[in-house]
Parts: sequence; structure tokens; C-alpha cells
Amino acid sequence: MNEILKTISIALKAMKKNKIRTSLTILGMVIGVASVIIVFSAGAGIESLIVSQIQSFGTDIIQTEIKIPSNKKGSDNSLGIVQGVQITSLNLDDLKDLNKLANIQNTYAGILGQEQLNYKNETKATTLMGVTASFIDIDKSEIDIGRFFTDAEDKSLAKVIILGNKIKNELFGNSDALGKFVKLNKTNYQIIGIMKERGAMLGMDFDEYAYIPLRTIQKRIMGVDHILYMTHGIYNTEIAENTAEEIREILRDNHNINNPDKDAALDDFRVTTMKEMMDMMGTITKYITLLLLAIIIISLIVGGVGVMNIMYVIVSERTSEIGLRKALGANKSNIMLQFLIESILVTFLSALLGIILGVIMSYLISIIATMNGFKEWEFIIPIKAYITAFLFSIISGLLFGVYPARKAAKLDPITALRK
Amino acid sequence: MLIKIQNLKKQYGEEELITKVLHGLSFTINQGEFISIMGPSGSGKSTLMHILGLLDRLTKGQYEFEGQDVSKLDDNQLAKLRNEKIGFVFQAFHLLPKTTVLENVMLPLAYSSDKKNHIAKAKKILESVDLGHRLNYYSNQISGGEKQRVAIARALVNNPSVIFADEPTGNLDSKSGKQVMELLQNLNDQGNTIILVTHETQTAEHANRIIQLKDGLIVNDSSVKNKRIAKNEKILVK
Ligand SMILES: Nc1ncnc2c1ncn2[C@@H]1O[C@H](COP(=O)(O)OP(=O)(O)OP(=O)(O)O)[C@@H](O)[C@H]1O
Ligand SMILES: [Mg+2]
Repeated sequence: MNEILKTISIALKAMKKNKIRTSLTILGMVIGVASVIIVFSAGAGIESLIVSQIQSFGTDIIQTEIKIPSNKKGSDNSLGIVQGVQITSLNLDDLKDLNKLANIQNTYAGILGQEQLNYKNETKATTLMGVTASFIDIDKSEIDIGRFFTDAEDKSLAKVIILGNKIKNELFGNSDALGKFVKLNKTNYQIIGIMKERGAMLGMDFDEYAYIPLRTIQKRIMGVDHILYMTHGIYNTEIAENTAEEIREILRDNHNINNPDKDAALDDFRVTTMKEMMDMMGTITKYITLLLLAIIIISLIVGGVGVMNIMYVIVSERTSEIGLRKALGANKSNIMLQFLIESILVTFLSALLGIILGVIMSYLISIIATMNGFKEWEFIIPIKAYITAFLFSIISGLLFGVYPARKAAKLDPITALRK
Repeated sequence: MLIKIQNLKKQYGEEELITKVLHGLSFTINQGEFISIMGPSGSGKSTLMHILGLLDRLTKGQYEFEGQDVSKLDDNQLAKLRNEKIGFVFQAFHLLPKTTVLENVMLPLAYSSDKKNHIAKAKKILESVDLGHRLNYYSNQISGGEKQRVAIARALVNNPSVIFADEPTGNLDSKSGKQVMELLQNLNDQGNTIILVTHETQTAEHANRIIQLKDGLIVNDSSVKNKRIAKNEKILVK
């Protein structure tokens, strides 16, 4: 033990004497280790963000949406918008049938449109959400002023509209909007409510949406009968998977899909429970994290080779020192240990600095993320990040230090001294 | 008897590239002797010193150090013996750069089994070679003569049985050279065995006995009649 302490102090002295070179040597390692920390932390941050965003939709819902059926797995297109193919099979009859399922409390249907809203001289391109009246019961969005439309208004194709917070502000500023009329397709729609501010989630800015009754948008604006999606509120989340399967069976039956193997690729719809959604997102972030780590490991190895390089230089620079130490009584293992400890110290120090740098950077990233609307981004450094960084540093110190150290230990004291 | 060699031969290299350097040397050295090994350049003085100093192994012959056949010792045992029994002083000083005088002198203690009072020991030795005022100077901040005295202090710090000095004055001006020789002489007066390698007759005559080498053979081995006594203003060893 005493030997090792003594050797550490010898190595530390040597490093202190070559401050500039030591810092250049460790730079690659420091950056590599910092990247490890950042990737782990960003991975955890993104996951926390996604989980909390998904949870904010509510865990007690199941989502049913259209998709293009395909014979090849994995190539199905979300919402069937790509390739100009439009799936029109999902409709309100399906909704009526699905609402009969025991675990389904209620369902709302929706379809999206892009339209211009006019008020006086102001024009605003808006995402129109055509939904059924139960939207306001199932979705987490809330009314700020006024009210949502009723089922009766939906069925009578009423020309009413509820504005998202941002749209209201852009068209009306601070003045009162409730009861006023906005023009949509040259037709007046009365504003009966303003939504509470909700912010952006998973790339959707709820405050930029305007809501009108589903049947109004189908008949008066788009001239269609189908819907894009349904969101089911359920009673019991424990059996959500079973309910999802029941939904699939009913829809296959309704859409005349012959699918005895229950191959999701053949369906013209997709049913997702919230748990599946979270699992899917979790898997995605995990793979991204792994991929980034693989890249970083390569950069760490490059850093390690840099350390090895420098250790070789140090050894050849110090041949006469090594010869002297041997003459004064150092044996092979003393010399070997000295250089091994030096390289481990170098990599350990790199890890330490890299961790500090990585933690600071991760903290900054989390602050920047929160400031830019990702409020649920948590600043987390998983323990495995520290463990990976330290393990890697010590292993690479050993691995990349052992050859130079062996070279040093093998030096013949006489030839080393003659230099 | 401290050192006994019999028919010592040394060659470097293998097969066609063999260089035969020492061709069969025999002598004994006793505790307390001051010996100069002399000879022209290339005669094998340093080679002999390296073998006697256990830095190198002989090719043929016998070498007993303090009664022990050193050919039977492995590298680690030789390192331990060098650490405990042998002090080296080199022409090129070989001090560690960017290291203080005190730390340089402490270096052999780092490899010794003696774990205590390293600083106190090194300080005491440095004071005895009149360098008490240079303890925390870096090795590049002192003069050549001071460097060599640091090297001598380093050779002494483990209280060795013998000190080997290979051309210790070779890189020094005559005044510093004189100081170094006076120091070695005083150490010998106190009972230290000293083996000095030099090719200068004047320097060699500080010893009591001169072994002359030529082409790897001893051509003369005799005691010095007119032993030179180095004199200086100061007495360096107290
Ligand atoms: N490692 C080696 N390999 C081959 N030959 C060597 C080696 N070391 C020394 N020699 C040869 O051995 C001979 C004796 O060398 P040595 O250094 O012992 O001489 P020296 O008497 O100390 O000379 P100098 O006064 O110049 O220091 C020389 O011819 C030298 O070239
Ligand atoms: Mg020589």
C-alpha cells in the first residue's frame, strides 16, 4: 500500500511538471467522458419529458387512428396522409359500436383541417380541430372563458368555434372575443369559448388550435364522412390491452378486414394504449442513447490511444530517469507501477474533469430546454453515467498504459544511463 | 572482503556482432579502500564499474559481493542490493529535472524498505556536503559542482557499503572538481569505500590504489606512493 502511495506521489509530481502536455493529453478523454455524461443525462431528460407529456394526455385513454394497411411490417403510414392515399373507413358508426364496450366510458372523434381565420383585417392560418362534444370531457384541455359546444350543436351543424389561447390573442389582443364572429371559408362562426393556455407537447401547440363541431367541419367545410381518430376514455387501465384488442376486433368486423392472424399491418387503423405509447417512446430514447454511446466509445478509444501515445513519448523521454531509478534500486515492478499509475491517473483525472464538465453542460441543457417550453425536462444524471465514465477511464488507463509501462520496465539501466 | 572477482570476462552482443570488452580480470577490494580505475577511452572502465555496481552481468568468471555470488541473484535481488549497498555518482550527474535538491536526494529512499524519516535523513546528508542552504532549489538552479555534491549526497543517503564514481569531475571546472575530490577523500577518511573511474592521473592519485586497464586487461595494480591530498578553503564533511 505504502509503495502504491509513494508511486502515486511520484506520478503526480511528474504530471504537475508537465502541466501543458498533461492537459493536452487528457483533453480528448475529458471531452469523451463529458459526452458520456451528457448523453446519459439528455437521454434521461428526454425520457422524463416524454413520460410526463404522455401522462399529461391521461393514462386512462386509448387512441384509435387511421393508417394505410400494408403487407410489409413497419412501413405503415401514420394517419394515412402520405402518398396521397386517404383512408376514409373510420367513421361515427364505428364510434357508436365501440362505445358499447364495457371498459369504454366515452369516446370523442376528431378530424383536422388547415383553414384561414379572419377577423376584421387580421388573418390567421389555423389548425382546425373538428371534434365531437365529449372532447372536453375526455381531453385534458380546459375552457378558460365561455363554454364548449354541445352534442346538439354538433348534430345541428352549428357554426360555433372555440379559440385556442394564442389565436385569440393574435386576432383580438386584449379585447373581448366572446360572442364575436370570425370568418371561416367566408362564413361567420360565433366564438363561444376560449381555451385555457396549455402549451406545446410532443410538437403540438394546443394554443394554436381552434375547435369546431365535428359534423360542422365534415359537412360544411371538408365535405367528408370519415374521421381521422378517436380517443376513448376508459374505466380500468389495468385491462386497457384487452379493451384495445376488443376495439380491433370490432373495427376489423366493421371494415370487413379479413385478418385471422391479427396482423396489425393489414389493419387500416391503429389502436394504441398509453402504456404502449410510453413503452415505445422509452424504447426509442434507449436506442438513441445507445447509438450515441457507441459513437462516444469510439471517441473515448481515440482519446485512450492518445494517452498511450503520450505515455510512449513520456517513457522515451525519461529513459535516463528510468535508468537512474533502476541504478538507485527500483525494480521492474516499481517502474511498471510508476508508469501504469501515471496513465491511470491521467485517465482518472480526465474522467473527473469530464464528469464535472458533463454535469455542468447537462445542467445548462436542462435549463435551456425548460426555458424553451420543455417544462417537464428534468435534470437527472443517472448513476450509470458516473459508473460508465469511471470504469472506462480506469480500464483505458490500464489498457493503454500497460504497453508503455512494460517498455519502461524492460529498459536496460545501462543503455538508459548512457544516453 | 567487499569485492572479489576472478577471471571476469565481458562481451557485448551475440554471434558475429560480439564485442569482447573485458578479457579476464581478477582482484579483490576491501572495505575502506579508495581505488581509482584508470585507462584510456574504450579500455572498459565503465563496463567494469557497471558490473561491479551490479548494473550489468558478467559474461564469464566469478564475482562475489560481500561474500555473495551475485550470478545467483535475480534482477529484483540485484536491485535491492544496489539500493542498500551501492551508491553511484555519474559524470553527467543524472539528477531528476524539475525536482528539488531534497527530493533528488530522497529518491533512493523511495525504493528502500526503510520507511521512516526520509526528509530528515536527506536533509542531514545534504548539510554534511554543505548544501543545507540549497534544499528547495530545483536541480537546474544550482551549479555543476553543487549538482555533483547533490549526486554524492544521493549516493550516500542509504548508507551504502561502496560508492562508485564514474568520471565525477569530468564535467566540472578544476575548482569544483577539487571540491568533489576533497569530499570523496573525506568520505574515505570516514571509512567509506570508494571506487573511482577516471582517465586523469591527477584525479586518480587521490586514491590509495590504482588499477590500470588497457584493452580489457589489467596492466597495473599498485598502491599510490605520492597520494594527492585535495585542499580547499573549507572542510566539506563534518
Ligand atoms: N552495450 C554495448 N554494446 C556493444 N559494445 C559496447 C557496449 N557498451 C560498451 N561497449 C564497448 O565496450 C568498450 C568499452 O566501453 P567502456 O564504456 O567501458 O569504456 P571506458 O573505458 O569507460 O571509456 P571512456 O573513458 O570513453 O568512458 C568500448 O569499445 C565500447 O564501444
Ligand atoms: Mg566510461
